[in-house]
Amino acid sequence: MPTDTKRVRGPEVSQSPSLFLPDGRQRDQVDVRPVFVRCGLVSQAKGSAYIEAGNTKLMCCVYGPKETERKDETDMKCGRLTTDMRFAPFSCPERGSWIQGSQDKDFSLMLQESLQPAVCLHKYPRSQIEVNVMVLENSGSVLAHAVTCASLALADAGIEMYDLVLGCSIRQDGASYVVDPTYTEQNSCSSVSSENQGGLTVAFLPSLNQISGLQSDGEMTEETLTAGVRTCIEGCYKLYPVVQQALTKAVRRAALPPPES
Amino acid sequence: MATVQVSEAEKVYILHGIRDDLRVDGRGCEDYRHMEIETDVVSNTDGSAKITLGHTAVLVGIKAEIGKPRPMVPDEGYLEFFVDCSANATPEFEGRGGEELGTELSNTLYKVFNNKRSVDLKSLCISEGEHCWVLYVDVLLLQCDGNLYDAISIAIKAALFNTKIPRVQISADDEGGKEIELSDDPYDCMRLNVENVPCIVTLCKVGHRHVVDATLQEKACSVASLIISVTHKGTVTCTRKVGGGSLDPESIFEMTEAGKRVGKALHTPLMKLLQEEESRGA
Repeated sequence: MPTDTKRVRGPEVSQSPSLFLPDGRQRDQVDVRPVFVRCGLVSQAKGSAYIEAGNTKLMCCVYGPKETERKDETDMKCGRLTTDMRFAPFSCPERGSWIQGSQDKDFSLMLQESLQPAVCLHKYPRSQIEVNVMVLENSGSVLAHAVTCASLALADAGIEMYDLVLGCSIRQDGASYVVDPTYTEQNSCSSVSSENQGGLTVAFLPSLNQISGLQSDGEMTEETLTAGVRTCIEGCYKLYPVVQQALTKAVRRAALPPPES
Repeated sequence: MATVQVSEAEKVYILHGIRDDLRVDGRGCEDYRHMEIETDVVSNTDGSAKITLGHTAVLVGIKAEIGKPRPMVPDEGYLEFFVDCSANATPEFEGRGGEELGTELSNTLYKVFNNKRSVDLKSLCISEGEHCWVLYVDVLLLQCDGNLYDAISIAIKAALFNTKIPRVQISADDEGGKEIELSDDPYDCMRLNVENVPCIVTLCKVGHRHVVDATLQEKACSVASLIISVTHKGTVTCTRKVGGGSLDPESIFEMTEAGKRVGKALHTPLMKLLQEEESRGA
């Protein structure tokens, strides 16, 4: 059969455009948004980190180890890790208030529970380590990125840790899922009443192969949940090299002698 | 939370027992303690229930009030959760001491009910965009002896089953305005369908195994637990890792599976019991 070589032929295999998300990422694949991470931006803090994933922007500062503020909670054997996560009033589509709401408190607690297994708290008796996370722009998957950012800041502060903690979220929507969902993806749900509809966030210690944080809501079957956790772990591994690189860069910068002018 | 001090020898004893599927109080790893449920205990509420699980005692009261629906979902009512940790349970809860635990528990409850099927929120709508029923679910902890999550969720399910919402009718007056009319018959009530209300199962990782319904002693031996809320069909509506430790992915999968199995088995006797109690009262 003679072929028309003058004309540009279409590809032999094609996919429906609905498979692609607006920002070009694909559904049902472990496709995290491009991340930018950097350590050491706040000079006053012991350690600090900034993370940007798509439009989600967070920064985290670590202060301490220092003496515990509340004397009655001083632990002679073990240090305390306190976390505080806040949303800037302009971070969400709707304006929030500066006062910490119950959602922020919940996030702070999740963050604390996700980070604590990774920090060698027994090396810091009678002291407390403060982790402050500020969400500058909320474009979905805030908790997951907060975990990554906070562990990076802890490492930057020179706090002894067993491992880094990486976070990853997925949004299950019927049979398909989105890894690292954006704000609209996170809060949208197709009107079709399907069984699996929910969100899942996992905090993972990559070199120890341990899950330090797990949180899900919505409706999911057990199989979907298990598959979701596996997907999140895979997503965390994708972040790992980026985070490692940012850390080595920060260490190198700190080790370098001040440039002579 | 109320905690107990456990010595190293006690820990070893508990750990070895659990390894051999025999716990200190003689239960197996997936057994609950003795549970007592009582509904319709507070007459001023629209629905109430009291549960005792071992020494843990929880009282739940539900009050229905007319409110304005949320702008995003104008055709649905909503639930509000509040957990109060009474200083009766433990002196630690005095003043603001119980606040942290209270918000943690209520935030988890919001997540557990954050899906379309647990409670039929559309049935709580009175007139779209204007009026709806708001169910205030108030949880009071009377005594803490471990496993608060499970006890609270079962008590809420029982209280929701017991809830009677007065029937209202909307009539339009001459000027086109709407008026809400309450039925004259106090027994003319709407009941909620609680079939899909999930129950929480807390699995405590102790040693290499996990136990259901851990006592305070067992909790002191574990570093992390997983809470899973399961519906009668086995659908998982919420999971969360609590505690300061981490878990192996494989053990998380095992625990989810066990949680689903235990949770599913919990619903049938619970519904039977509630229906029995209902028929006895009538």
